Amino acid sequence: MAGVVAYGAVDSSRLSEVVWGVGAAGLALGVVGLVRPWPSVVAAGIAVVGAAYAVALGIGPRTVDEWAPLVAAGLFLAAELGFWSMEPSAARPEPAVVVRRLLFLIAAAFCVGLVGTVLLYIASGASGGIGLESLGVAAAVAALSIVALLARRARESGSAPG
Amino acid sequence: MTRAASPKLVAYAGLAAFGLLAALAARLPELVVLAAPFAIVAAAGQLHVRRPQLRARVELERDRVLEGEEIVVTVTVDSAVGAERVELLLELPPELETPAGENPRAVRLPDDTRRELTFPISCSRWGGFGVGRLFVRTHDLFGLFVHEDVLDERVPLKVFPRDEAIRNLLRPLETQVYSGNHVAAQRGEGIEFADLRPFVPGDRVRHVNWRASARRRQLWVNEFHPERNADLVVFVDAFAEARRGERSTLDREVRAAASIVARYLGQRDRVGFVSFGGFLNWLLPSSGTRQLYRIVDAMLDTQIVLSYAWKEVDVIPPRTLPPQALVVALTPLLDDRSTGALLDLRGRGFDLVVVEISPLPFLPPPRGPAEELGLRLLRLRREAVRGRFERAGVPVAVWGDETSLAEALEEVSAYRRHARVVRA
Repeated sequence: MAGVVAYGAVDSSRLSEVVWGVGAAGLALGVVGLVRPWPSVVAAGIAVVGAAYAVALGIGPRTVDEWAPLVAAGLFLAAELGFWSMEPSAARPEPAVVVRRLLFLIAAAFCVGLVGTVLLYIASGASGGIGLESLGVAAAVAALSIVALLARRARESGSAPG
Repeated sequence: MTRAASPKLVAYAGLAAFGLLAALAARLPELVVLAAPFAIVAAAGQLHVRRPQLRARVELERDRVLEGEEIVVTVTVDSAVGAERVELLLELPPELETPAGENPRAVRLPDDTRRELTFPISCSRWGGFGVGRLFVRTHDLFGLFVHEDVLDERVPLKVFPRDEAIRNLLRPLETQVYSGNHVAAQRGEGIEFADLRPFVPGDRVRHVNWRASARRRQLWVNEFHPERNADLVVFVDAFAEARRGERSTLDREVRAAASIVARYLGQRDRVGFVSFGGFLNWLLPSSGTRQLYRIVDAMLDTQIVLSYAWKEVDVIPPRTLPPQALVVALTPLLDDRSTGALLDLRGRGFDLVVVEISPLPFLPPPRGPAEELGLRLLRLRREAVRGRFERAGVPVAVWGDETSLAEALEEVSAYRRHARVVRA
């Protein structure tokens, strides 16, 4: 989270003090939320850090920030680790459980970066040629397949959400 | 099984909504990138949530153990529908302990799998327990939903009190008719020499004391004490106890009772048991190993139950206290009802011995002159109670921190030897 704030403040050419201020407030909220622990305050801290990044984007030049997927992955990782640390559990986990969870986090952060890149290209309206277009279609198909797979497993287990 | 959404779900949904709204308002596509992962995880978590189906079986390494021993409890969990992370808490009473970090345990249980988890348990105090109530909490892959359930697969575990060292047992004043290990006061066939008397027709030649006969110039024969068994009743005072942390006078009473019972039953005596307190519990005197287990099982149920009812020895079934039985009372002498009942027993002619389990080591050190005075008054009151027993001819031995049970019993034996000499 601190990295996101620092990146936003350094990247903004003017009013970097505002970015620093908003970002520091978000970090403080996050720390308080982790120490207490208050999940909603941690979420508010992440939102305020995201707001600091938005301020940096708003006062900066009107071009698409190509590092946004990395910022998204960083915020997502911070949120996942923060909520992991706040889980009320005294149970000693098996090493396999911890390893799987860490691998899941790394894979999820990678996917966030990938999906963010695709989203950013779509939003910017830029055309990257036939190769990039094909990659986008493949990513969309893969995302839909994953959602369909998850839905089928949920139906098979006889425990639809709700 | 109950299901609850974790705070993470609400937080992620809120972050996604906030990010997307901000993206729309500020027209910044980067904020969509920031909000998208939270939205995707919240949506995928909703789709992926499943209700786990778990079954458990609990097995004990042994169902009867001694106080202080360790056993292993094996929990076998079958998952028809598993979960990414399953937390298992084996509910244990305070008397049973697991090493730090062993309980609760978090494991991964995929679908259609069986896992065996072992929990080492240290049995720190005697008692009868039910082991095997499992609290289960499962988490999905995204950590958004929590399912909780209780699997009750309890199996009985009996923790027997550990033995206290006893060197010599108390000799009862009266013995019974069956052969045993106690030298009877009567004369008859036995090993222990009793006296000499002149020969009468019918005496066996092997009993003739030739040296005495030669000196007196007529036949004299040896007389012997026969070896007989005895009846013993262990009387546990369960009206009140003094407790400090894990230790209590009742613990000592039960340990002493178990040790005494095991030793007397080992030498073919008949032993009975009376727990006299809020609940009355008794066992008729009998002998053998089965009686030992019966008595120990009955002791495991002994507990202090608050009661204001005045109870006398009349409530004890008469056959529980056979005539000529030695009654060994284990009491902290904290309740007048048990004192009265014991003096009543003595008044009815029972051979009574009181082993006082001193409550003084369980008291906190006095703070200030008022508490010092209170402690002195308590000591004086206890001296007065002991005096009442001694005036009734009942020996009282104190078992405290400074003395062992063996020493207390030796003290009683010495008192009884002294009392016999005076009476003779």
